[in-house]
Amino acid sequence: MKTYLTSTILSIFLFSTFTIQANSSLKSDFKTGDPGITSINSMFFGPEGILFIGDSKSAQIVAVDLSKHAKTDNSKVKINQLDNLIADMLGSKVDQIQITDMAVNPENNNIYLSILHSSGKVVLLRVDNNTLKVVPLDNVSFSKTTLLDPVAKEAKDKRGRELRKWAVADIKYSSGKVLLSGLSNKEFASTFRSIDFPFSKEQNYSSLEIYHAAHGKYETHAPIKTFIPTKIKGNTHIVAGYTCTPLVVFPINEIKPGKHNKGRTVAELGSGNSPVDIIEIGSEDKHYLLIANNNRPLMKMDFKDLEAYEDSLTTPVTKKGAAEGVSYVNLPFVNVQQLDKYGDTDFLMVQRESNGNLALKMGSSWWVK
Amino acid sequence: MLAQTSPDFTFDQTQIVLYRDTNKIDDFKIYRGQITESDLSTTNPILGEIREEDKRLHFFPLVPFTYNQEYTIVYENIIDYFIIKTPPKSYKPLKVEAIYPSSKILPSNILKWYIQFSNPISEVFVYNHIRFLNAVGDTIPRSILPLENALISDNGKLLTVWIEPGRQKRGLIPNTKLGPVFNKDGFNKYSLVVLKTLEDQNGVGMKKDFMHSFQTTIADRNKPTINSWNLIPPKINSTSSLIIDCNESLDYGSTLNNISILHNKENEIQGTWKLSDHETILEFTPIYPWKKGIYHIVFSPKIEDLAGNSLERLFDHKINELTDDNSSNSIYEYKIQFILK
Repeated sequence: MKTYLTSTILSIFLFSTFTIQANSSLKSDFKTGDPGITSINSMFFGPEGILFIGDSKSAQIVAVDLSKHAKTDNSKVKINQLDNLIADMLGSKVDQIQITDMAVNPENNNIYLSILHSSGKVVLLRVDNNTLKVVPLDNVSFSKTTLLDPVAKEAKDKRGRELRKWAVADIKYSSGKVLLSGLSNKEFASTFRSIDFPFSKEQNYSSLEIYHAAHGKYETHAPIKTFIPTKIKGNTHIVAGYTCTPLVVFPINEIKPGKHNKGRTVAELGSGNSPVDIIEIGSEDKHYLLIANNNRPLMKMDFKDLEAYEDSLTTPVTKKGAAEGVSYVNLPFVNVQQLDKYGDTDFLMVQRESNGNLALKMGSSWWVK
Repeated sequence: MLAQTSPDFTFDQTQIVLYRDTNKIDDFKIYRGQITESDLSTTNPILGEIREEDKRLHFFPLVPFTYNQEYTIVYENIIDYFIIKTPPKSYKPLKVEAIYPSSKILPSNILKWYIQFSNPISEVFVYNHIRFLNAVGDTIPRSILPLENALISDNGKLLTVWIEPGRQKRGLIPNTKLGPVFNKDGFNKYSLVVLKTLEDQNGVGMKKDFMHSFQTTIADRNKPTINSWNLIPPKINSTSSLIIDCNESLDYGSTLNNISILHNKENEIQGTWKLSDHETILEFTPIYPWKKGIYHIVFSPKIEDLAGNSLERLFDHKINELTDDNSSNSIYEYKIQFILK
């Protein structure tokens, strides 16, 4: 009897272990507890409801399992006076809060906003029936990896020196890799990182260098502000928006660790402008990039145009009025501060409207149909 | 109708303590602003944690209460208001302690500034509180790189400000259409302003705007070269300083903590580096006395001058113009040797 009982328990144990692993090999090394998140610079949903958080303050990337939040319908979401609502909930003045990023879980349509408070505290909020709920981050299922600069890490280990700060500008997930762009507080450098997920000790560092040649002769190491991994003619590329306006593509299989990678500049997004977010939206036949900017309206770029453009703006434009890369149209959405896709064909944004209202709302999918 | 009788409570930035009537069911909420009874149902209460004790209720807000912000407290059928007035007189308000580069004459293609504050600052839209003004006091538009996440040191006191690189770098559209941020001559007097609206992490601002005036001159398009630096060796058996005159101002952030000294190619010398004389002089003071032997000062290739030209490469250069010392994939080391006998 005793033997029978033991083998039954063992069978159940083995079965449940197998079940967990079969359901999620990505989460097999997750543990429950406090990942010690002290900043949320940027966030992005990978598969299985895993939210990747770029946390520069704690020099880490944290993968948090948020799959348990119930599937919901936010297709008619509209929150007016979003900044006032957040200020009410935090008991702060409106100018003491900043929405640092927004992410939509594609598997259950939950919308998340990361908030920075002037005290330095960060809060993750989830949209719930047109209001907001706190998502506690001190007791979650998570996995994480360090984000130390390789030079600084060595420096700290050997010499106990101060680390360089590396602010995560954007974070994405693609085919088993967490991709990151970032800026240093010390050197003028453009670093792009690729980290295997589930996390291992290996991290690849590259700098993505561009010929900035719109009319010119000079190249640069300018930092990437936002990017998206996507397929161009069947091959995975990084489409990167730089701080100084060009849109550049890099074939991902040519990005090698420790090597400078020179991309192909395909468009300029306007002087004095900096891209904020890039998303990919649409169906098989209608396929677009949407680009939110800090000083230009929301831009729509047709993938067919992007794929058809094989040149690079490396070659100086000599003719006045000559084409300056892939064309795009400006959509009637200005001051879009946060942007993410909702489903395959819709997009969600935080927009400062002309009357001053900060609104969380859906963009009209009419513009991308 | 809520009663106006004040509940018995105390408060500070981090919590409210309310002395409870244990016979009552606890309904305890805090609101931002002075909320009337009729508006309570349409206003969201402040997020926080309530902990119960025998005779007291503690409310811990998710983020600290703000100075000079009114709050409404509702306990059972009682409504009352409170405000946390300015911090105690002993509180040292935020101020700018140093600016790097500190020189008043700078290359017109200067790339980065560092602002050293006395207290950890609020990072919320931090770059909105910083301006560059021209000689007549007009704000220079699009002069600062609008970063969403502040570039700030671990202790929250050293802020890095990037001048818009697209305007400083030749040939880019921002550069060609808007021109560089600063002029090399003519109208070339400017001020860096930190507005008093910038607050520290306790929500306390500066007493007045901070202004730092400077003038710009011809652009620097040369890499710093360590071979031209002058070294004054220290005295053996002493903890006297090693001095390196760099002939030009170096970038504060990329220089400090990017240099090491090896004794006889093995042991790293422990000590502190400092930049002085408008960041043109590097000074190293060891913890232990210098010994006899061969010393190598090893500089990171990432050390930059004020225009973003590093030891290994220029900030901007012509396409196909080889400027990287390590462009042939050979590892180039930047070292200065000295011997103490």
